[in-house]
Amino acid sequence: MSMVTLRIQRFNPEADAAPVYREYTVEVDPTDRVLDTLNAVKWYQDGTLTYRRSCAHGVCGSDAMRINGVNRLACKVLMRDVGAQVTVEPLMGFRVIKDLVVDMEPFFAQFRSVLPFFINDARPPERERLQSVEDRERFDDTTKCILCAACTTSCPSFWANEDFVGPAAIVNAHRFIFDTRDAAAAERLEILNDREGVWRCRTIFNCTEACPREIKITKAIGEVKKAILYGTARA
Amino acid sequence: MAGYETVEHDVLVIGAGGAGLRAAIAAAAEGVSVGLVCKSLLGKAHTVMAEGGAAAAMGNVDDRDSWKVHFADTMRGGQYLNNWRMAELHAQEAPDRVRELEAWGALFDRTPDGRILQRNFGGHRYPRLAHVGDRTGLEMIRTLQDHGIHQGIDVHMEVTVLTLLRDGDRVTGAFGYDRERGRFRLFRAGAVVLATGGIGRAYKITSNSWEYTGDGHALAYHAGAALMDMEFVQFHPTGMVWPPSVRGILVTEGVRGEGGVLINSEGRRFMFDDIPENYRGQTADDAEEGWRYTQGDKDARRPPELLTRDHVARCIVREVREGRGSPHGGVYLDIAWIAQKLPDAKAHIRKKLPSMYHQFKQLAEIDITSEPMEVGPTTHYMMGGIRVDGDTQMSTVPGLFAAGECAAGLHGANRLGGNSLSDLLVFGKRAGESAARFARENRASTVDEAALEAAAREALAPFDRGTEGEGAYQVQHDLQEMMQDLVGIVRREDEMERALEGLAALNERAARVGVTGNREYNPGWHTALDLPNLLTVSEAITRSALDRKESRGGHFRDDFPEKDAAFSTFNTVIRKGEGGRMELGREPIPPLPPHLAQIVEENR
Repeated sequence: MSMVTLRIQRFNPEADAAPVYREYTVEVDPTDRVLDTLNAVKWYQDGTLTYRRSCAHGVCGSDAMRINGVNRLACKVLMRDVGAQVTVEPLMGFRVIKDLVVDMEPFFAQFRSVLPFFINDARPPERERLQSVEDRERFDDTTKCILCAACTTSCPSFWANEDFVGPAAIVNAHRFIFDTRDAAAAERLEILNDREGVWRCRTIFNCTEACPREIKITKAIGEVKKAILYGTARA
Repeated sequence: MAGYETVEHDVLVIGAGGAGLRAAIAAAAEGVSVGLVCKSLLGKAHTVMAEGGAAAAMGNVDDRDSWKVHFADTMRGGQYLNNWRMAELHAQEAPDRVRELEAWGALFDRTPDGRILQRNFGGHRYPRLAHVGDRTGLEMIRTLQDHGIHQGIDVHMEVTVLTLLRDGDRVTGAFGYDRERGRFRLFRAGAVVLATGGIGRAYKITSNSWEYTGDGHALAYHAGAALMDMEFVQFHPTGMVWPPSVRGILVTEGVRGEGGVLINSEGRRFMFDDIPENYRGQTADDAEEGWRYTQGDKDARRPPELLTRDHVARCIVREVREGRGSPHGGVYLDIAWIAQKLPDAKAHIRKKLPSMYHQFKQLAEIDITSEPMEVGPTTHYMMGGIRVDGDTQMSTVPGLFAAGECAAGLHGANRLGGNSLSDLLVFGKRAGESAARFARENRASTVDEAALEAAAREALAPFDRGTEGEGAYQVQHDLQEMMQDLVGIVRREDEMERALEGLAALNERAARVGVTGNREYNPGWHTALDLPNLLTVSEAITRSALDRKESRGGHFRDDFPEKDAAFSTFNTVIRKGEGGRMELGREPIPPLPPHLAQIVEENR
């Protein structure tokens, strides 16, 4: 066990005009996660400390936050990897509701704007549609997204322009654009060809580095750009 | 009273995991207006964590499979306490529900000829689990969420329901609050579907997410509905045991499906030592046959690691108790050994079990492609729940429906892996359709203002006590410790009697909990309001477990270690009785109709 200092950005909409930083000293095991340490503060020091978390397994994507300035999932970062002085702040670019909780609605709106649902009006066959192992593999990577927003809120293009659709929405469009069963690739490509679409991406790679699922986001965005230029996702 | 906002829907679905989403989609497809309440953000529900797959007798990998074999497997796994009508419908309809997901764009792993691939799982005679690597739940949630997005379902995110509204006997809506602002919201509805999942947060070691506080169980109970089979809690045999911060996190059964074996500290593959009589004919004679089974040899029988979860969990507990456990109180689960069998085993493991690989690498610094994992039982699933009609999913209270984990019946005394994802698809759809039909004939009715007033007052009481009251987390942690110790995987009468006394004391403490701060997004307050639900389900579990003086499925009694035929004829039922006391009864199980009895017989 050792002592660490957690410096947490706090904001209470009832009491604070602007966010403030508060420090908490917590005894931790090196194998504790940042989420465990936040829990320790909440359970034993201040029951009003607020952050989202659901599964605590790195699958639901609720607890993305800035840990020492980098977007991470708090349930997947061990204390021994962050040092004895840890700064925890909410994701950048969205309104802070309270403490580490941000308003995710603009993020979900970006997601919804790319038609993130399967479109194919042809009658499905009696049994399942066939799809070859290779065709299925083509969009495997982008189906791993957990909508945690770590990518979008690490993107300088998004910081500069909040109308930019953002990497997460493009990732979720990619999974349909490159699915051989889907029939609306052209529509999605047109949406992403907008001035707030893929061309705002400057291939900075922050998103790829931030992704807790190790999705090759910049590559996926590149594939979408290419598909727009060549007019097809199937080439 | 405190102000509230009112919304009205034909059907209100409480819970937005797989069952709730599927119910909402089904109700919307019937043309009624639908409201969907999520305790967290949409798409974060517990279903997202499901790894293995959805069990459905599609016969894509082994064409000997059929709904009849799936039915027989489910009944055997549930020790014949199952609601057989539900087991029948589930086995018959699961293939269509999985294909429907595929038609809505869900990704699945595929066979070489492009059909949905199916994998082996415990208690299933044939490879039956449709899956996507080890992230099937995530894909299922996303597909349902995406499909529901453009169906006109109103989603109420980060809303917690406090109580159900009643008009006479009928349920006509719900009353709750939104977490962001802490303001009350009244939902008027013609019918309500509960799809709130499980109760795992009543225990210290659990694979369940924080939302799993038995809300639906408790809401239904207080609305007068019967709960059933509450003694049957599934302890999944393989949770992580080290480091302490991640104790309880699930290690998918898929590891064993891919050939992983359980080893004790003496290096012995102990699962071969104890094979239950009714599974002997289906279990491999030796390690070689077991390996061939996992590699798809149709003539081979399954390895004992793929026996049902209740049995595997008890064998692990036995090894640990008798001093043959691993350093941190578990046993070893080894998948790395398959390097003896496969040329590129490391790559194979990473491809088949990517989430497991990363989970152990990141959280335990274990490389599962070269070292064994340490695993032990973790509270995973609630077989018991709201007693429902097998066809309509209506509870014993008109207008109140239940689907998924919070409903009881399908799984009997023990659930087979993979049967929960198919459960929530089959019965989510049925519940949504039934609720829509009910709502068309029964409108929302007048609201009892006095009841709302009382609910609001009670919800705000912890603020009045402020710092003078005890913190909610201390009470919750003490409850979790106690349930783990006294009503856990191995149970005894004297310990459970002590648990009842402990619950009485915890109830008194819960009534005195205080919270500080404001109503805006206040987690201490949220926990204070979860407590009564946790206490209600804990009492139901303990009373039911005391009454069942035998060992069966997920329920193991140290003082009655054998199965007793006298206990095979009824389900334990819990109701709220006169004066608010919890009452226990036994409901006889109707005999299997001849056509189902014949299927069971043919698959002995």
